[in-house]
Amino acid sequence: MRQWFRLAFPRTFRDRQNRAGFLFVLPALVFFGSVFLLPLAQSVMYSFYKIAPGGAKEFVGLRLYEKVLTDSTFWTAVKNTVQLLLFSVPATVILALAVALGLNRIINLTWRNVWAAMYFLPFATSLVAAALVWQWIYDPVYGFLNYALSLVGIPPQKWLQSLSQVLPAIAAVSVWVRIGFDTMIFLAALQSIPQEYYEAANMDGASAFQRLRYITLPLLNAQIIMVCILELIFNFKVFDQVYATTQGGPAGASLTVIMLLYDTAFKYFRFGDASVMAVFVFVTLMIVTLLQWRLFRKPVEY
Amino acid sequence: MPARPARLSLSLRQVQVRLLITLAVACGAIAIFFPFFWMAVTSLKTAPEIQRVPLQISPDHWLNLANYYEVFKREPFLRYLLNSAIVASVAAFSSVVVSSLAGFGFAKYRFPGRDVFFLGIVGILMVPFQSVVVPLYVWINDLGLLDTYAGIVAPDLVSVFGVFLMRQAIEMIPNDYIDAARIDGASEFRIFFLVILPSVKPAIATLLIIKFMWSWNEFFWPMVVISSPQMKVVTMGLMSFTNMYFIEYNLLTAAAVISILPILVIFITLQRWVVQAVVMSGLKG
Repeated sequence: MRQWFRLAFPRTFRDRQNRAGFLFVLPALVFFGSVFLLPLAQSVMYSFYKIAPGGAKEFVGLRLYEKVLTDSTFWTAVKNTVQLLLFSVPATVILALAVALGLNRIINLTWRNVWAAMYFLPFATSLVAAALVWQWIYDPVYGFLNYALSLVGIPPQKWLQSLSQVLPAIAAVSVWVRIGFDTMIFLAALQSIPQEYYEAANMDGASAFQRLRYITLPLLNAQIIMVCILELIFNFKVFDQVYATTQGGPAGASLTVIMLLYDTAFKYFRFGDASVMAVFVFVTLMIVTLLQWRLFRKPVEY
Repeated sequence: MPARPARLSLSLRQVQVRLLITLAVACGAIAIFFPFFWMAVTSLKTAPEIQRVPLQISPDHWLNLANYYEVFKREPFLRYLLNSAIVASVAAFSSVVVSSLAGFGFAKYRFPGRDVFFLGIVGILMVPFQSVVVPLYVWINDLGLLDTYAGIVAPDLVSVFGVFLMRQAIEMIPNDYIDAARIDGASEFRIFFLVILPSVKPAIATLLIIKFMWSWNEFFWPMVVISSPQMKVVTMGLMSFTNMYFIEYNLLTAAAVISILPILVIFITLQRWVVQAVVMSGLKG
């Protein structure tokens, strides 16, 4: 308390400096407070109220939670989102790791940069543009993918229009967009591993696999966990790709949680229901993030 | 015992392994690049050309730009580009201003609650934007900012990443510089302008580029606040080419090329900075 008083009424030169520091930070605090913290609290509040289109509110306790959490459409959306995660997260992380290991072995720096740039390029494109271009590649009649498959004798597939293929097809778009980002993080981490470790391992006659298993992977532990969390969050929030292509179809097969939240809030204007989903998304992501840190973060020793 | 040069000690097997790795990396890169190629090629074809069976890879005329004219004729695409440019520029600029101020405050001062505030800001990374979108929409509506530039850019003015990046960069500046300026009688604000900002130019460049890029590619929030055609941003503009029963992919891909090109040019010429930003966000988990 006394500290705060001194911040408001500085007595010494030091106090005045610290007040300046606080004032520098203030705009950011106000921004994050009003754009994230306050609305988050409001989202929680809205989830307990029934809001009529005119703005009249009625407190309904947990009724909206009961309604949303017993709705089969909601659970379909959750199931689809989880499936999408299971397709895209491991694929992105493992492929990115493989690419980074490969790039790290390329000695010619110019070529390494060229290849790395190509992997990184999709990261710069909007998800909407990426998804639409992929939709064209997936086109069942005129698309490139079915053409390429026909060359090796595989019959045309329906991809985005198929109940069973739509989720992997959308997941592939996410993988395509995100792989470069993860690769860059892994590559930077790989380059910071001291070469002596490998030399010592070679001296002891370690095989390539053993070097990977006992030197590289343990030293990349922190990055792998972080990338997994980032990918999990990114893919849990999947919206743009779905909205631009299938809008949740066919027959709800690609309906994701955020897609449903968007429709509920801004197509049907049921803010209360949407807020329940918003709270659900926030709580889920927080639990998952905290769990991942707890369970997998081993002390890293360099 | 004379040390042998490493190069000469490569066995045939090692050369083979290296060749194989290079080949795999190259094949992957080409596969990743393919959708860009396919997008560009499709944008040069006519409607009958893209429906040809069997599929033909190259367009009949490599310089057929008719689709590009058509994109601008059918939709106010120039307006979309302008809208995106305005929103992204404002977001990038304000982000740099607020983040560098905050970064300076967090890095070089000790005021009560500093560490708690900083942790709080980093914790916001865990709050998905979609969890706050409904109240934000209500706010923007109450303020009468629906369908305005201010409405689109409002939640995009600062990002957690920016504060984090600037704090990191400003921490590297030796305290002696700041103290020397103080002894010369500079105010804290002057120090910010004359000592801090000039020494973190690379971080500023990085933040400008990445924030511009993120903002340009934004889709969810513009979809929520924008309803009139002339206020659409470029990502929404792309969607106008999909509202038909049959999507004219030759036009759509031309529009996609136009929407991606500005950002791709920035991205490729300034890639060093972007990579630095990603690595920075990556190495500090």
